[in-house]
Amino acid sequence: MQQTIVQKSIRGFAILATFGFAVPALAQDAGPDAVFNIPDRPTLNFYGVTGLIDMPSAEALPDGQFTVGVSNFGGITRSTVTFQASPRLAFSFRYTGIQDLNLAGFETFRDRSFDVRFLLNKERRYLPAVSVGLQDFAGTGIYAGEYIVATKTFQEVGPLPGTFKVSAGLGWGRLGSAGSIGNPFGGTRPEFEQGSSGGEPSFDQWFRGPAAPFAGVEWVINDKFGLKAEYSSDAYTQEVDTSGIFTRRSRFNFGAEYQVSDRVRLGAYYLYGSELGFNAQIQLNPKTPPTPIRTAPAGPVAQRPSRASQPQAWSTDWVVNENAPVILRDVMAPRLESSGLRFEALQVTADSAELRMQNLRYNATSVAIGRAARVMAEVLPPSVETFRIVTVENGLAQSAVTIRRSDLEALEYDAEAAGALLAVTGIGEAAPRLENAIENEEYYPDFAWSLGPYITPSYFDPDEPVRADAGLRFSSEYRPAPGWEIAGSVNLRLTGNVGDSVRVSNSVLPPVRSNAVLYSRGSDVVLNDLYVSRQWKPGNDTYARVTGGYLERMFGGVSGEVLWKPVSSRLALGVEANYAVQRNFSGLGFQDYSVATGHASAYYEFGKGYLGQLDVGRYLAGDFGATFTLSREFRNGWKVGGFFTLTDVSSEDFGEGSFDKGINLTIPVSWFLGSPNKRVVSTTIRPIQRDGGARLNVPGRLYEQVRSGHRNALEQNWSGVWE
Amino acid sequence: MIGRKGFLGAIALASAVLLAGCSSKNNTDTKVLADTSKQVFAAIRARRQNKGPQPVVQVTAEQLANTKVAALQVNPEQRGGSDFLRRVTQRNDDQFGTVSVWRASDGALLHIRGGVLVGSRGIGTDIISSDATPTIRAISGARSGQGERRYFISNGDYTDTELVLSCDIDNLGREDTQIVNLKFSTTHLRETCVGGANNKVRITNDYWVQPGNGLVRRSRQWTGPLSGYFELVLLKS
Repeated sequence: MQQTIVQKSIRGFAILATFGFAVPALAQDAGPDAVFNIPDRPTLNFYGVTGLIDMPSAEALPDGQFTVGVSNFGGITRSTVTFQASPRLAFSFRYTGIQDLNLAGFETFRDRSFDVRFLLNKERRYLPAVSVGLQDFAGTGIYAGEYIVATKTFQEVGPLPGTFKVSAGLGWGRLGSAGSIGNPFGGTRPEFEQGSSGGEPSFDQWFRGPAAPFAGVEWVINDKFGLKAEYSSDAYTQEVDTSGIFTRRSRFNFGAEYQVSDRVRLGAYYLYGSELGFNAQIQLNPKTPPTPIRTAPAGPVAQRPSRASQPQAWSTDWVVNENAPVILRDVMAPRLESSGLRFEALQVTADSAELRMQNLRYNATSVAIGRAARVMAEVLPPSVETFRIVTVENGLAQSAVTIRRSDLEALEYDAEAAGALLAVTGIGEAAPRLENAIENEEYYPDFAWSLGPYITPSYFDPDEPVRADAGLRFSSEYRPAPGWEIAGSVNLRLTGNVGDSVRVSNSVLPPVRSNAVLYSRGSDVVLNDLYVSRQWKPGNDTYARVTGGYLERMFGGVSGEVLWKPVSSRLALGVEANYAVQRNFSGLGFQDYSVATGHASAYYEFGKGYLGQLDVGRYLAGDFGATFTLSREFRNGWKVGGFFTLTDVSSEDFGEGSFDKGINLTIPVSWFLGSPNKRVVSTTIRPIQRDGGARLNVPGRLYEQVRSGHRNALEQNWSGVWE
Repeated sequence: MIGRKGFLGAIALASAVLLAGCSSKNNTDTKVLADTSKQVFAAIRARRQNKGPQPVVQVTAEQLANTKVAALQVNPEQRGGSDFLRRVTQRNDDQFGTVSVWRASDGALLHIRGGVLVGSRGIGTDIISSDATPTIRAISGARSGQGERRYFISNGDYTDTELVLSCDIDNLGREDTQIVNLKFSTTHLRETCVGGANNKVRITNDYWVQPGNGLVRRSRQWTGPLSGYFELVLLKS
């Protein structure tokens, strides 16, 4: 059963658009004067990691770089995603198809593998770059190999133009299978074991068994062309000797590469003295948006008349006018609306004002704060000196940002406008409700709907690696009062083949996730979810949520959550308790299986964008355990993370993969759209979806709703206040 | 690969994608999809009918005579064409030089302090703020000078990058400026800046300054990584 249904289907589609179509169309936006866009992109090898042709090099990608590599030779296709998670550490996830390998009963053998590599030494004047890598360290092990490699760069050797990158290294495992020079660290290495469940790190094998040297050179002739030659240490024992899928006549490989565009590089190669190969490399960096966001500029901050020349304008007599708050609201609300903000409440005194508003448009809350402050400066009487701005997200007041009006007026053209304003701005807690405030009476009740296409992909079925269902989705939401929401969505499937898979659940656990195929076969009209939720703040630093109904495609029930997250705290703690009943494959009914599931969670912001999360509790199949998640979040909202879950289910009972693990990816829509937009597309990819360590998908979990308005998020994007 | 429902379903889906959804409000998933596809198509169209940069608009003597308010002609070099900016406000703060804020026809703003571009809004990868005090001092006296220039430049995703440059302002001597039918006696100052990562950022700004009042009549200034250089002509101060 190799199935992963990725929920939030439409998002996958949008991600596709990012990588697929948007890339070439955006090149024209980067002008020749792009001083910050000095290209820095080491080339990739057939494994989709920095390297030569089939062998790795020691180069690291630029920090944060994302690459997609697709290579093919001798009936072997490898598709690899690599992420440079820190300046020294990179992770790769690979999906491989080997035609006619005739292993484990599959004509075409398909496998997933993970790599990790670490840059031990950055290249210096005399010292080469040195990297150490583990290839396929947790899969079924067909690519299992380790290496240590050094790379040195030489500019303009003799009369030759361009750059030469010379690499040499030592490989173990697969990378030590040809031309072994001995067994430096001793030990034996078991043969590749077909049909094993895999998934667990094979600590006992790393750097064990015979080691063999490899080497190569890359000649980067200019920005467009490059040539590569290498001496491989891979014998391709399984492929050549056992299955005979190609003939290996030589250990030398050669290739030529061409940089098609800023992000795309193509190469053609002659490998192992017998095979032609090709490699497509795509590189992008989350820090470099393809389309810079153009935010419609707000005018200059309105200045108050001088107190000396117009003292009457500074009078506080307006306070006695009972209608003043109503008038102020009626003037402010449309101005906020045109800036993408929604007025929620206003409390004014002679010298201070608190505005509560929703940010409908900007993925950085700081921009919303800046816009709201400008509207306040335009509208409020001169005597109002202190502005308190509170962003409200679905009824939850996130934080109170306190800005002195004089600072706002004085610092707009300051040499360090953003830093100077931040230094005098207070970011503090917001009370759950604003007392004695004038509120927006027009907003509630609010109803919204949308109709559009959806795609639900399903990956890694060995018979058909990518399957999908597609059709129309109707969603609607009704908000009767602040914090309340009634929402639902219905899918009408028009086409698809997820249900064609013959790989139904073989799980020994309750089939809480492995029946995706049966759900897909269920019916063409499907109620995805339909629920009532209420969220509120019990205290200044605490947030709560209760949700009930059809929570997701496979489960319905009730869910309650409480989160503690002080505005300036790196740490947040939460508790969630759910009672979930498994839904029928079609219709509105339920199956016999029900479970009490829930977690205690700790979230921590380590700084520099690294986020950790630990969830401990009971999972859908009734198993107890913990999920560990580590993510890197870029300041613009890109987030890449990995997670794994260990529970009291044994790896035998879990089945293929041994334990649950996967990758999360979140991309802000504004990043590729080039206009302000709050939405993000996110997806979770698991090498395999089994029933152990599975969590309920509850809509509207609190942490992400709350965090965008807290200190760390505000400070990271503070320059947005002036944009 | 398309299964059971086959061909008809694919057609229905294709039309749905083309419709790209509709909704009662903005900011939904389907709206995003619609916007994305619109943008991709627009980019493809723009690429097909790429006519090259537009020519700079030549102002006539009559047009200049009829201009009653402060006006700044801006000729973006990369994008081509011209725009005419109105002065929105002038401010004095605790830093050297008066700030003039100029608004373009598309709403974009330029912040110009003592003739030197120190900020922009709505252009894309805008200069959020910058310190050009040594340059502004040199210009105010129409003389050479040197010093540090610091920029905070938007990366186009609500984050910013600090760029520190070291600059020399050279006096290239008297060079009169012709603006339409008017001739001004000006001094040509050239500012050469180097800095950034590995000193790879090099910027050259030119100013033609009236010696008496320090007014920059014409200049060619760097406006940021995306927009390159703008020529600024002060039609009416």
